[in-house]
Amino acid sequence: MTADIRQHSPILKLEDVAISYETRYGDVEAVRQVSFDVHRATTFGVVGESGCGKSTVAFGIVDFLGANGKIVDGSIKFQGRELVGRSQAELRKLRGDQIAMVYQDPMQALNPSVTIGDQLAEVLTTHRGLAKNEARQKSIDMLSRVYMPDAANVMKRYPHQISGGQQQRVVIAMALLNNPALLIMDEPTTALDVTVEAVVLDLIEDLKRDFDTAIVYITHDLGVVARVCNYVGVMYAGEMVETGSVEAIYDDPQHPYTQGLMRCVPKLGTTKESSRLYPIRGRVPAPKDRPKGACIFAPRCDYATDKCHTEHPLLREIQNGHRARCFYSEVIDPEAWEPPEGLVPEIAPAPETEEALIRVSDLRTYYEQESRSVLSLVGLGKKQYVKAVDEVSFSIPRGKTLGVVGESGCGKSTLAKTIVGLEAPTGGEAQFLGFDVTVPLSNRDLKLIQELQMVFQNPDSTMNPSYTVGHQITRPLERFRTVPKASAYDEVIRLLNAVRLDGSYYHRLPRQLSGGEKQRVGIARAFASRPELVLCDEPVSALDVSVQAAVLNLLMEIQREYGTTMMFIAHDLSVVRFFSDYVAVMYLGHVVEIGPAEDIYAPPYMPYTEALLSAVPIPDPTAEQKHIRLEGTVPSALNPPSGCVFHTRCPRRAEMLPDGGRICEVEKPPWQHNTEEHRIYCHIPLEELRKLDPVVTEV
Amino acid sequence: MFVRDYMTKHPVLVEPTMSTVEAQGIMAETNIRHLPVVETGKRLVGLVTRERLRIPAASLSSLNVWEITRFLSNLAVKDVMVKGRDVITIGPDATLEAAAETMARHKIGCLPVVEEGIITGILTEVDLLVQLAGLLGAGVSGVRVTIRVPDRLGEFAKITSAIASKGWGIYASGGLPTPKQPETWDIVIKVRLAPQEELIDVLQSIEGHQVIDVRET
Repeated sequence: MTADIRQHSPILKLEDVAISYETRYGDVEAVRQVSFDVHRATTFGVVGESGCGKSTVAFGIVDFLGANGKIVDGSIKFQGRELVGRSQAELRKLRGDQIAMVYQDPMQALNPSVTIGDQLAEVLTTHRGLAKNEARQKSIDMLSRVYMPDAANVMKRYPHQISGGQQQRVVIAMALLNNPALLIMDEPTTALDVTVEAVVLDLIEDLKRDFDTAIVYITHDLGVVARVCNYVGVMYAGEMVETGSVEAIYDDPQHPYTQGLMRCVPKLGTTKESSRLYPIRGRVPAPKDRPKGACIFAPRCDYATDKCHTEHPLLREIQNGHRARCFYSEVIDPEAWEPPEGLVPEIAPAPETEEALIRVSDLRTYYEQESRSVLSLVGLGKKQYVKAVDEVSFSIPRGKTLGVVGESGCGKSTLAKTIVGLEAPTGGEAQFLGFDVTVPLSNRDLKLIQELQMVFQNPDSTMNPSYTVGHQITRPLERFRTVPKASAYDEVIRLLNAVRLDGSYYHRLPRQLSGGEKQRVGIARAFASRPELVLCDEPVSALDVSVQAAVLNLLMEIQREYGTTMMFIAHDLSVVRFFSDYVAVMYLGHVVEIGPAEDIYAPPYMPYTEALLSAVPIPDPTAEQKHIRLEGTVPSALNPPSGCVFHTRCPRRAEMLPDGGRICEVEKPPWQHNTEEHRIYCHIPLEELRKLDPVVTEV
Repeated sequence: MFVRDYMTKHPVLVEPTMSTVEAQGIMAETNIRHLPVVETGKRLVGLVTRERLRIPAASLSSLNVWEITRFLSNLAVKDVMVKGRDVITIGPDATLEAAAETMARHKIGCLPVVEEGIITGILTEVDLLVQLAGLLGAGVSGVRVTIRVPDRLGEFAKITSAIASKGWGIYASGGLPTPKQPETWDIVIKVRLAPQEELIDVLQSIEGHQVIDVRET
């Protein structure tokens, strides 16, 4: 195709925008000097850590800033028309007709008490004045357009009756009903599973192409940006520090902050040795603490000079539309970067042992569900069970880490809860240090509780908000009498230091800590009793990438120091690879593939593992990744599919097994051993699975 | 080649109540010459062009300075636009040539693309020119040849099969009756991967064909 020689003006043009919030301390400038253009049929990605002003920019475009927010400087032009200073009435009309928004949580955008059909049709009857029937038909068309299975039926349902991925598709369909010129998406896939996310991202790509829509895409995930964006703006502490095409930014980042971000994202497909993470030291300053008249990144920058601390750099062009806000972009060579002293700990390889610390065999955890039949009222109903964990067997050698991955609802957390004693298993055996861990928590030996600790996903909800940090860490010390009472204080300080927090944190309350610091306290608390086994349930998924890198490094360092064994639950396959020695892939309560981490990420794959890997967004726009998308959602565990639990969604069985894979529907698959430790739960012969190409090939 | 594939989607739109001053500002900002006027739901009600915004001097001549200012500041888009049914529009499924004909016949520079009363795009003369240039292979390098052929069935097939037999490819082509010579047609083709001399030999060797122009672009 010939290049388009027409010069279209940008759909959206931001020039030197500054947005402030009125607070008790006066006006706080949340965003300043933000400029970018968004053209038709292109996606502009805004990336950065939390608190950098990404969402403020998105809300600013449509002046959704709330009562205390205001645009104080600059201009925002939509289709040549100034938006700053418009009345709410005028903006409302634009928002309905030409600008649409999609936010992170689809459930908040949908009315739970109105059917999906009515909500969609309302858009058309209100904004277009269409008749009800016509609006209905158009809504069904649009639902099919966003690949909603059985669109006509979905119209009759309520939002809670469809899955999260489908809800987000409804929201996207609703946004597109008016054929907007500009679509603002604020973390639209962050709350979704990786397989669902992949489908939604594909959808966004298709819609951009077919509708010529300009998209502003806000996310913290560098992998997602590489997959959907054409242009990227990197934000740091309220300023745009670098903008350019996605290829230029990933290939040759010019700003030290962007370079730092790239170094702290785990990459899939690289070896474990090279996948070391380098956190950025320090943290994003709060708006009122930002350096004035200086480079805002200077306090965390490895290259900062006196000039950076006394002069504010401008966003300037480096080459071909690639701009960076740094004095030294031409001089800095990211290849030559060496981590400063003490940024990453030296991590020795885990000691080789054969001895299994924990051995689980045929573990089952079922939840009983009352049947709805009348007979159940008199106790005669047939009991139904949700098989949250079914026939799970594994063992972890001492000092090693087992990563557990899978979509949500696969029983990862239930498995952890069963081992730690929060759920009683229905059957099976679990041996840990000679203890039987199938007994409920209240009957457990204190010694066993001490040796088995947990780090939770959300540090906010696992800490008592009214106890100081010191108090929270002292409690397990007292309870388990790890140290004599007199030296408890010293021990807490030692633990705080071990998680890189100084003694002053002893008296702080959880609300005075950042998310990363809270998670460090959570880790210190888990290690206070010097446990043999620590179960980490998504310990970093609520954290920003640079903090995530620091917490992961810390966990690994402490693990080596104490020789602790870990079970690490995560949905992010790239994090698991970096962190684990062994990986177990779970689907619908079953472990479907387990083995040493290196083997999981290379063929032969269980088809489910292959699909998971091909869905992971890779932070490299040039990497080639296989395109496998799973249909539908995880089936209900109340009524799991017969035969192989994965057969309803398996993309491989029809092509790789005789008779279209009928065997998968009727017969449970065997465990096939690839190596002694690596086994796959599948009917497809290993020789066939070995022939598959690796999912990720780097160029 | 249908209008829906070549139109500009999401045209810049204005409301009837907008002042002409602001409409002029938008035209300057976005460097466009036509503004469809819409009501709620992107329902097309009119069209403003640069010409329409030019106030005829005669209408101001009787006014004094103060009156002129008031006249201009009160002037809204609805006062100057081409109204409702007078706007010539086209549907998204029309062919490009039909659109070009319509524009030529009415001597207009743009066609709002309307589907059930709702504007979905706009097709301007510039869009058509871009496609004309593309049809004849502008922007691609190759050998551009003009051949004069007799007005008979099957002559074009001779050219294509001669080129195909050599393993070359035709990137673009177009043909028109030779001006003032109804018995012949002039055919323009753009050929890639072909050495110029050899190409001419092949084309000249077809009986009745005459290569009248060759240029390397």
